[in-house]
Amino acid sequence: MSRRRAIRAGGSRAAPAGAAQQMGAAGTLMGHEGVRMFPSTSLSLGAEARSTPLDDLENVVALYQPRVFRFLLATLRDRDAAETLTQETFLRAWSARARFREDCSLATWLIRIALNLARDHTRTRRFRFWKRVSASAVDAAEVAAFVPTHDRSVEAHLIAQQQVAGILETVAGLSNRQRSIFLLRFMEEMEIPEIAAVIGLPLGTVKSHLYRALAVVRAQHDMHGATSRNQPPRNATMRNATTKEMQ
Amino acid sequence: MTPQARTEEAAGQHGDGAAMLGENHLTGEQFGELMAGTTEAAGGELALAEAHLLVCEQCAAELASLREAICFYREASIAYADEELRQRPRWILPARSSSPRSLVPAYWVAAAAMLLTALFPLQVMRRHSVAPAAASVSSVAASDAGRDAQSDEALLEDVNSEISASVPTSMQALADPSDDASTASIATSDTTSNQRKD
Repeated sequence: MSRRRAIRAGGSRAAPAGAAQQMGAAGTLMGHEGVRMFPSTSLSLGAEARSTPLDDLENVVALYQPRVFRFLLATLRDRDAAETLTQETFLRAWSARARFREDCSLATWLIRIALNLARDHTRTRRFRFWKRVSASAVDAAEVAAFVPTHDRSVEAHLIAQQQVAGILETVAGLSNRQRSIFLLRFMEEMEIPEIAAVIGLPLGTVKSHLYRALAVVRAQHDMHGATSRNQPPRNATMRNATTKEMQ
Repeated sequence: MTPQARTEEAAGQHGDGAAMLGENHLTGEQFGELMAGTTEAAGGELALAEAHLLVCEQCAAELASLREAICFYREASIAYADEELRQRPRWILPARSSSPRSLVPAYWVAAAAMLLTALFPLQVMRRHSVAPAAASVSSVAASDAGRDAQSDEALLEDVNSEISASVPTSMQALADPSDDASTASIATSDTTSNQRKD
């Protein structure tokens, strides 16, 4: 049995080996019945006495775990890897809490850690292999099924689902940087300066990446809309050419 | 101010505004700025783009449609992630992550335990090394005691022999009065006669 399977409660899904490595590096413990455990605070006796927002880890996890997990899930499109890296994010943050100078918000700091972990994770060849074969990969249609109804007609709801599935596929095809910036802006609703702080790029570069990502998403959206309406998209050809040129 | 008036005002502020309002559509950058809502571009470019939206239904519809689609995407992603997270096992966290200050008693307990651990072997070693010394001391003491006992016995024997003797050593001269008395009388008479002659 792989280590990753031992970590998971049910072990029903295939496990990316890269994720297993991450978990091993994290040194996390496993509780009974597959419940994950964080190392006791006694393991970090060397930390400075200065109090940090991360001292209350339970509250921090309760507040930010959904957000970090959501971002990693949208970035990696792999449930197991997203969960593993979410845990790794909080472990890293906990270990480095003495270095958190509060010059940015805790959410920004956590997302920055998560982004770096995701970047390292996606660089590995192992990740690319597992991405192809992993059963825990996120299916676009599966996510699109979660589009809220909002009292729309069945037809409108189906169109919305198709649009969401289309955006999911398009975002997955963006470059890593464009995807991260797009997700931070439109899913996490971060402001541009905040995104620049997380990514570590100048404002102009962040905007440039965001506009390029939007151009790709817009082109796909127009094409999808035209297909659903059975009419040629306006300036679709020109926009596709522009998008290719940008990329 | 009505939307139409705003459009005209915006068009009046920019020389080429009229041409853009009538014929062209939003550029990719303007569209991006409108979508991203970048507040830094709140100057002329954004005002012009917003003015264009008021007169160009096509661009306005496209922008609204894309905004709506991205909104659906966000809602679906959040709902999916929340549901996925709900199905995952919960983490076990320290109930209240204690600050290092509250770990001071733990430090003391650990230090005491280490001290005891270090002292116990020393105590055992010391006990082992003291035992032979005590044995040698006791043997010396025993030999001294034996010597004292011997001397005591000799003394007692002497005392017994002294007591058991019929005449003490100091009175031995008086033990046989016949020999000694004649000798003594002769000596006494000689002494007396000599004194008379003088």
